[in-house]
Amino acid sequence: MPGLPGRRSVLGAIAVLPLTGALGACSGSEGSRRSRGTGRATRITFWSALRGSQEVVDAFNRTHDRIQVDFQQIPAGGQGGYAKLSNAARASNAPDVATIEYPQVPGFAIDGVARDLTDLIDSTAGGLREKLLPQALSLTTFENRVFSVPLDVEPMVMHYRQDLFAEYGLEVPRTWAEYEETARVVRRRAPDRRLVIFPTDGGTQFAAYAWQAGAQWFDTSRGAWNVSLADAPTREVAAYWQRLADQDLVFMNPSEGRQHDAQIGQGQVLTRLSGAWDAGAQMNARPGQKGQWRIAPLPQWDDGQRPAVGTHGGSTFAVTKDSRNPEAAMEFIAWQVSHPDALRARLSSGTSSQYPAAPGLVEVGREAFDRSYYGGQDIYRLFEQEAGKIRDGWTWGPRMTATQEVMQDGFARASGGQGSIIDAVRAAEDGTMPDLKALGLTTTRNST
Amino acid sequence: MTTTAPSGAPTSAPGTGARPAPRDRVRKVARRRELGACAVLMTPFFLLLTLVFLIPVGTAVWLSFFQDDQPGLGFGPERTVFVGLRSYAAVLTDPTFLGGLGVVALYCLIYIPLMVVGALALALLLDAGVVRLRAWAQLGLFLPHAVPGIIAALIWLYLYTPGLSPVIDLLGEADITVNFLGVHTVLPSIVNIALWSNLGYNMVVFYAALQAVPREVIEAAVVDGAGPVRTALQVKTPLVRASIVMVAMFTLIWALQLFTEPMLLSQSTPMINSRFSPSMYIYDAAFTRNNYGLAAAASVVLLLCTIALSYGVTRWTSRSGAREEAAR
Repeated sequence: MPGLPGRRSVLGAIAVLPLTGALGACSGSEGSRRSRGTGRATRITFWSALRGSQEVVDAFNRTHDRIQVDFQQIPAGGQGGYAKLSNAARASNAPDVATIEYPQVPGFAIDGVARDLTDLIDSTAGGLREKLLPQALSLTTFENRVFSVPLDVEPMVMHYRQDLFAEYGLEVPRTWAEYEETARVVRRRAPDRRLVIFPTDGGTQFAAYAWQAGAQWFDTSRGAWNVSLADAPTREVAAYWQRLADQDLVFMNPSEGRQHDAQIGQGQVLTRLSGAWDAGAQMNARPGQKGQWRIAPLPQWDDGQRPAVGTHGGSTFAVTKDSRNPEAAMEFIAWQVSHPDALRARLSSGTSSQYPAAPGLVEVGREAFDRSYYGGQDIYRLFEQEAGKIRDGWTWGPRMTATQEVMQDGFARASGGQGSIIDAVRAAEDGTMPDLKALGLTTTRNST
Repeated sequence: MTTTAPSGAPTSAPGTGARPAPRDRVRKVARRRELGACAVLMTPFFLLLTLVFLIPVGTAVWLSFFQDDQPGLGFGPERTVFVGLRSYAAVLTDPTFLGGLGVVALYCLIYIPLMVVGALALALLLDAGVVRLRAWAQLGLFLPHAVPGIIAALIWLYLYTPGLSPVIDLLGEADITVNFLGVHTVLPSIVNIALWSNLGYNMVVFYAALQAVPREVIEAAVVDGAGPVRTALQVKTPLVRASIVMVAMFTLIWALQLFTEPMLLSQSTPMINSRFSPSMYIYDAAFTRNNYGLAAAASVVLLLCTIALSYGVTRWTSRSGAREEAAR
């Protein structure tokens, strides 16, 4: 049905894509042949929507005899993947290992789908905890208990059209003030082009902007869920984008679907603000634009301040409550997130530019990633530098999908001239509170 | 509902000591047989009522009062506790649910009058013999009702989507740009789908009722000099009043459960969100937010609204009906 573009989440972009090729298929059959030979192997099941997962599983099965993984590609979370996982857990047949994106981790932890992994993670060989970026692990840790293991962490970066920047004589903006000025110049020099879109389906993008600016939408430090979506930094961010939208300096439309595809494909949009993973998605979606894109750090709010960024995207692996082999599941997870072969296998799919949550793997990524699309730019070096700027202390909420949906409804209405960006944020907070209360959580509300 | 409780039967109490007269006994046997027949005939109804209505409603009520709770941040072990009216308080303070109720209220205000008046007008036209190919017209109008709601919504989605729709293309050539899925047009667009689906069905109901109007009454009206319009409005319409009330009531109940059309259209327009109508809110609460208590409470609230409105419509129409009778 061509009339049904999925609109809901940017997470869809990390979506199901036909997994490539002969290589994967061959090694897959080889892996399963061997596993049939060893009758004693522990079998675990693994669900994911991530690109390159088949390659990773094949590589794991090739090199392991004791544990064999049955992989199932499922739809991306927003496209039904999370509903599938919840329903499976309700029916007590969730897979051993499930893929959950950061914003959904608290929800699945509260619902009891994701198992408490604290003891398992500490008993892994080689100390998995020490191998992971602390900012990433803190996003999956609640009340000092770890509920899932970060695979990648995706600092938000600025992808930009280097050729068009040169054509219009633009410099890469380093602050948001410069960015606004650049947007003005673009509109003046090319009236049918804009610097960027404000994605009306971009709850996660907006969260990353707010995160960077110092917002704290959810806070659990005082033993209750304190909700303050419309806090001062968020209001500032909302006002900034509202100003750009009001002056017609940005397009305001969904970032998924044909409209935005056309905007990118025809060069109507000069920059894209998204996670590091998006570099791989871009390569995969538009091979024809090879050489035209470069990546730069996200603009900062203030030149003097300590630079900060938020993350956009990124996934974690959870062991579900239904797993009968949590130790084996944990071993597979540990290999996936920290073994060089796992990252190499994933990048070999040619569609991923995932930035590993284990800093030790960055060099592997640098070497394995094909730089030709970005004109030889060492994007992993850039990602590494940006990952260090991720502001610590951010917490996602217990019902993040729903919170974002309400917010995005408001964004869409704002793009139609009804209400504003900050109204959408307030509506999201109002629409989230009843949910949390009905779940029986202790809540407070404090918008500063 | 008919009460067939045996206690209602006029049995003479054995404690009185008086032997029942033979005629009484005959009546009693007949009565018992009648009750037996009633029981046999009603059992399937009550069985189904219990199975598909009472048990689910009971479950929903139970779910709305008991929940698996974890105190504090919610990461502890779950236990099922009685939560009183907590879920109801959450639903009734949720602006997105109240917004959904508002949307459905507006939808009813547009849809029900259009439906009743439209179906009645068509039925009167058919009955007056204005339309030549009566059988064909009836079939043509009824056919959309045979199309399942989801298919109907898909067809209309195609006609509403810019870039796909031949209608929008045609209008575009005449320099008219319409966005059927815009902020203000989306509700009328849904009303249109519902009308298309159900107009024919309700027209048939009215037409059947009009067939039962005694011909001599109409002849008398014609003899008295009433034209066709006057006959239709002042003679026929009051005589099919009962059908009008019934159709209005069914339409109301159906409209309150608005779900299929907006659910499908929501895929293609951001103007319909996942909590657009109360039914969609319930679906979203249960299956995206995994919040069964909230969904159950919202369901009970919607059920109570439906019962109250249906009761209101019945009371209001029977009272005004009685007043009319008295005035005659």
